[in-house]
Amino acid sequence: MSKLNRMATTIGVTLLFSASLLQFGCSSGPDEKQLTSLQTLKDEVAQLEKEIKDKEGKKGELDKIIAEKMAGVKKINDDMAIVKQRLAK
Amino acid sequence: MKLNAVLFIVLAAALTLSVGLASAQQEMTKDQWQQEMNKYTQTRNDLQTKSKALDGSISEANAKSVSLDGEYEKSLDELYALVGSDREKAAAYRTEIGGVEAKAGELMRLSDADLLARSSEVKDLEAASKELWNNKLALIPEFWDRVTELDNKAKSMTETLAKQVKTYTVGTWSKDRDCLWNISKKPDIYDNAWMWPRIWQGNRDQIKDPDVIHKGQILKIPQGKEMNDEEKAAAKKYYGKKAAAAAQAVPQAPPAAAPAK
Repeated sequence: MSKLNRMATTIGVTLLFSASLLQFGCSSGPDEKQLTSLQTLKDEVAQLEKEIKDKEGKKGELDKIIAEKMAGVKKINDDMAIVKQRLAK
Repeated sequence: MKLNAVLFIVLAAALTLSVGLASAQQEMTKDQWQQEMNKYTQTRNDLQTKSKALDGSISEANAKSVSLDGEYEKSLDELYALVGSDREKAAAYRTEIGGVEAKAGELMRLSDADLLARSSEVKDLEAASKELWNNKLALIPEFWDRVTELDNKAKSMTETLAKQVKTYTVGTWSKDRDCLWNISKKPDIYDNAWMWPRIWQGNRDQIKDPDVIHKGQILKIPQGKEMNDEEKAAAKKYYGKKAAAAAQAVPQAPPAAAPAK
C-alpha cells in the first residue's frame, strides 16, 4: 500500500508541476493592447473590402450607362448617314 | 484515507493539465500575432491602393459619361439641322404624328360597318398622313418609320372601305334615263329618289353640278338609308338656288333631272 501511495504521489506531483508550467511558465503571447490592434486592423480590412465592393458595383453601373450612351451617339450618326442618302435622292 | 487524498491530487492535477493544454492550443503566440499583423497590414495596404485606383476609374467614367452627353446633344442638333429643323420643331412634329397615330388607332379598331360610317375620317387620315411627308423631318428614321406605318394603315382602311362601297356606272339619258334622281330611285340603290344628294355629296370629286352627270362615270353609292347633315344642307342649298331661279323663270322640271351626256 505505501508503495502504491508513493507512486501515486509522484505521478500527482509531476502532473501538477507540468500543469503549472503550461499555465504560468509557457504564456508568452501578445498582450491585450496588441490583440486589440490586430482586431482593429482586421476591422479596417473588412471595411475596405466592403467599400471596394460598393465602388466596383458603382463602376459597373457607370460602364453600363456609358455603353448605352455610346450606342445612342452611334445611332444618331447612323441616322445622319441615312438622312443624307435620302436627301441625295 | 491517505490513498483517497492522493487519488484526489492526481485527478486534480490531470484536470488542470488538460485545461492547460487546451488553452495553450487556443492562445496565440507572439510570433503568430506578428505574422497576422504583417499579413493584415499588407492586405490593408493592397486594398487601399485598389480603392484609390477605383476612385480614379469612377472619376474617369463620370467624365466620359458627361462628355458623351455633350456629344449626343451636338449630334442631335446636327441631325435636325440637316433637314432644316431644330429640336423644338422636331418635338412639335413628334406630337403631330402622335395625334395622327391616335386617330389611326381609333379607326383601326372599328368594325367595317362603323368604319364605313366614318369614311370621311379615313379620308382625313389619308390627307394628314400625306401632309406629314411634306415635312423634311420625315426623312429622319425615327419619324420615317412612324409616318410609313401611318401610310400603311390609311391605305389598309381605304382598301377596306373600297371593298364595301357600292358603285354605279352611269348610262345614258336616252337609253337608261340616268340622272341622280332616277339612279337614287332604283330599288337596288336607295329606292328613294329624294336621297339623290347622297350620291352627289359622295362623288363631289366627279360631280360639280348635280344636274350634270356623264356616261361612263363610276359613282360611289354611300351606304345608309338616311342623309347626314352635310347632305341635307347641300340639298337645301340646291333647292334654294333652284327656287330662286324658278322665281325669275318658268317653273322647271323636278330637280336633278338633267340627262346623262
